[in-house]
Amino acid sequence: MNMKWSRVWLIYAREMRDQIRDRRTMFTIFVLPLLLYPFMGMLMLQVAQFNSEHPVGVTWIGEENWPQENPLIIDSDATRKTNALIRWNYLAKTELKSDAQVEAEAIVREGRADLVLITKPGFREWLSQSKLGANQETRHATDAGLTATASSFDSESDSESDSDSDSESESESISIASTSSTLATRPSGPPPLLTVVNQASDSSVVALKRVGHLLENWRSTWLREQLAEANLNPSIVDIISVERVDIAPPETKQALVWSKILPLIMLVWALTGAFYPAIDLCAGEKERGTLETLLCSPASRTEIVWGKLLTVICFSISTAVLNLFTMQFTSTFVINQFASAGASDVVQALGPLPFSSLTWLIVILLPISAMFSALALAVATLARSSKEAQYYLMPLLLGGLPLVMLPMLPGVSLGTGTATIPVTGAVLLSRALIEGHYTEAFLFAPIVIGVTVTCCLLAIRWAVRQFENESVLFRESERFEFRAWIHNLIQHRTPTATANEAMLCGAIILVALFFGRMSLASNELSWTSMTQSTIVIQLGMILAPCLVMATILTSSIWKALRLGRPRLADMLFCFGLGISLHPAYMLLSSAIQTEFQLGADTKEVLGYIDAMISAAPLWSVILTLAVIPAICEELAFRGFIFAGLSQEQGTLRAIIVSALFFGLSHGVLQQTIGATIMGLILGVVAWRTGGVLGCIVLHMTHNTLTMFVARAGKQADLIPSGLDWAFERTLEGGLAYTDTWTILSMAIASLILAALVFNKPSSASYFWAKDRVVSPES
Amino acid sequence: MVQVQNLTKTYPDLSEGTRVAVDRISFSVAAGEIFGVLGPNGAGKTTTLRMLSTILRPTSGQIIINQANIDTEAHLIRKSIGFVSNNTALYDRMSARELVEYFGRMHDMERDELREKIEILFKKLCMEDIGNVPCGQMSTGMKQKVSIARALIHDPPVLIFDEASVGLDVIVARALLYTIAGLRDEGKCIIFSTHIMREVEKLCDRVAMMHRGRILDIGTLEELADKHDQNDFEDLFFSLLTRHDQVNDQVEMQPLKLTSVTRRPSAGATSV
Repeated sequence: MNMKWSRVWLIYAREMRDQIRDRRTMFTIFVLPLLLYPFMGMLMLQVAQFNSEHPVGVTWIGEENWPQENPLIIDSDATRKTNALIRWNYLAKTELKSDAQVEAEAIVREGRADLVLITKPGFREWLSQSKLGANQETRHATDAGLTATASSFDSESDSESDSDSDSESESESISIASTSSTLATRPSGPPPLLTVVNQASDSSVVALKRVGHLLENWRSTWLREQLAEANLNPSIVDIISVERVDIAPPETKQALVWSKILPLIMLVWALTGAFYPAIDLCAGEKERGTLETLLCSPASRTEIVWGKLLTVICFSISTAVLNLFTMQFTSTFVINQFASAGASDVVQALGPLPFSSLTWLIVILLPISAMFSALALAVATLARSSKEAQYYLMPLLLGGLPLVMLPMLPGVSLGTGTATIPVTGAVLLSRALIEGHYTEAFLFAPIVIGVTVTCCLLAIRWAVRQFENESVLFRESERFEFRAWIHNLIQHRTPTATANEAMLCGAIILVALFFGRMSLASNELSWTSMTQSTIVIQLGMILAPCLVMATILTSSIWKALRLGRPRLADMLFCFGLGISLHPAYMLLSSAIQTEFQLGADTKEVLGYIDAMISAAPLWSVILTLAVIPAICEELAFRGFIFAGLSQEQGTLRAIIVSALFFGLSHGVLQQTIGATIMGLILGVVAWRTGGVLGCIVLHMTHNTLTMFVARAGKQADLIPSGLDWAFERTLEGGLAYTDTWTILSMAIASLILAALVFNKPSSASYFWAKDRVVSPES
Repeated sequence: MVQVQNLTKTYPDLSEGTRVAVDRISFSVAAGEIFGVLGPNGAGKTTTLRMLSTILRPTSGQIIINQANIDTEAHLIRKSIGFVSNNTALYDRMSARELVEYFGRMHDMERDELREKIEILFKKLCMEDIGNVPCGQMSTGMKQKVSIARALIHDPPVLIFDEASVGLDVIVARALLYTIAGLRDEGKCIIFSTHIMREVEKLCDRVAMMHRGRILDIGTLEELADKHDQNDFEDLFFSLLTRHDQVNDQVEMQPLKLTSVTRRPSAGATSV
């Protein structure tokens, strides 16, 4: 039956009206954003105001050691303003119960002061004795052009706080010896000024900045006075300056900041905006019992899904757009406030949110919202109640966040590789558009839109399937009984695994590989340890789970692993395919490595492993890296998992899912992409040959050739003289296929694949005529 | 009007493998007839009626309603039926009028025709004063009236009532039975499932007694009384249930399984 859009519209209109009448949804979607950003803005202003106006308490121990003729508070506007925000408390040495530093730490720890400044005895005396004019040596030093303000107090304190941020309270010695000892070229300086602060306390950090500002001013003034007394030009202090020329217009700099914040906020709200309506429209409708009425109406399941989907999309987009506009309004207001308060640094860094950026974001938002909405709808359909739906949707949010956060990582930019990652590509595209990199954006936009639309269509298809699935729509509250379940598993064993068992096997393999690889990674890399770990991984973590599951859960281990008796022609085809596909795969690997470049560390480790493999005996390399993986991986992925999935969910899904598991099992992104593509071809071979042995032959041939080409790159005599035309030396000294052979082999591979696909599929005949049948049918 | 042949529905079950909810039942219902489906809870009545209303897909067997086959023309069947269930709720945030109009438009009715039909229907069901009341604020009886109006708005030849009187007070339940009887007199084909025997006695022209997914017997009340030599309908029903359970307990103590379907002889399912 064709879909009637008038009916979709009818369902959509009803759902929209229903949602608009729901106070909770309206509050979450529309009212909350209107309140949220003004509240956040208010909070920001208040925090900023608090930080700038809140006075801090500073205790000064040993104030009597400070030179009277050079007071700390210089008479200037800036210092007066800073000083007004400090409550000074003076402690004379006679009032101290113990050592000054110990006492100071206690004062800060107990919160009696935010900072303690200690001036040790001898400070004043040293300063009075160290007059520049009195010492000829200093003149030489000054003449040499040593700048006295080599390090400012602020930068010192910042770097200190970075490195020692763990310590609760810390003492910091600020010695003017860095300047005066340079000037005086004396090995010893005055006793250092000591500041005791608590870096874990905000007010203490503010106190440090303010006192630092005063000290820096004082030091600079003192130094200038010294230079003047010594008949030197005080401006020598500032003689060397570094000027910066920034070609970026202020709008672009502001866009850079917004481009990092906005896509994240937009996507999080698009997902959140899809959540609540999806829950209400699916799980809520099930819970209330209204779904049955809709299902027996003339509307088809597809029409129902589309009607609901359009509603969810509308809410998702509205939420995100409303958030963006509220944020734009609030940010403009807050930034204007900062501007009027004289906080030019904040205004320069952020600036009001550009309107053009919002337009671009909304364009990108459309497909993203559609994808999120379809996913949320499909997931919400699985649930029996709104509460259960929230349990299901949280993993969706958590799963989506890494894709949103990935573009935040330094160095991640829009490229062919990143454009193909769902969500990440869209975030990077919107960033490029906001920053005004239009050429780059339009170049990759087709890929991003293509990927997003494909994901969106797949999600919609999934949602429709959920609505067609009775066991999903009318799932009763089932009580899980472990014993009954085990009993059922054993009593009702089928010849192959079920789809759930196949998926479970895949998941077990991936988890085992994750932990296995980490625990087996040894610091000492040797061929022996590598062989051992490969064998343990292949046999223990890939083959063992599927063998155990096939033995326990299925009635025929041969059928479960698709160990059909092969046709000789199929085996020859697979061998030929293994050889002819190899050049294309090498080309693919090289393209992937160009797009997703390996890190320097990974390259170094791989180089070491490569050298190790080259030194090992060829037979051992082929056995460990070609034969064993081919057997284990094929039995698991094209055997057990493929059989389980194809039995219940169709061949196409079996090919795709087994290829994904196969790809993910390789661990490294670059290998995962290549292996997934290879997995798809192996899946087709598994389907058309009706068994797993053809795949083993293909896999083994492929891996052997990889090892052989790598080895032949270092041992030229390995290549038979008749095959010279197929290989050539690379600039790096390795071996590669010639273009002629690459093109020819791709044509041959296409022919073999076509022959396999269009040939009548092999019907599986199993090695054991009699299966170990234990099902009650027997 | 309604023909059902060897209808079976099974569900996958975590502990039992497969659970048979409806086991090869057959019956037919003519226009102007009320066909009762009587059975205890879990007999398979709701599953059967859900299959008739295309909500569930039969595992095997055939359903033909108003000459449309459910396998190929489910959309035509949906236009020919009106389904009222005690499980079926209404949209709380819609008024009675909005809800009935919505389902009328779903059946491709024109606005003018729809408005006219709503007025007639609301008058007939004494619903004029609740037309603009949101369904969430209605009593159970009012809601059931709205459900009936929703099911009747497109004037379907077949009406399916699944335990529609459950939860209603005596007055509303009685009014419902009168409404259903009136619909029969208009020539509607009505399938009425219940576990209340008095409703069957009062209302149904023929009755199928279901238990554990099977039809134990089928016929008019008089036919069944004569056949089993029981004048009291309640006694008749319990004797059939007891006999069926004793036979089954002797055959197997296990829960019903699909795998045993082919082995087990038909236990009294009668095609009409």
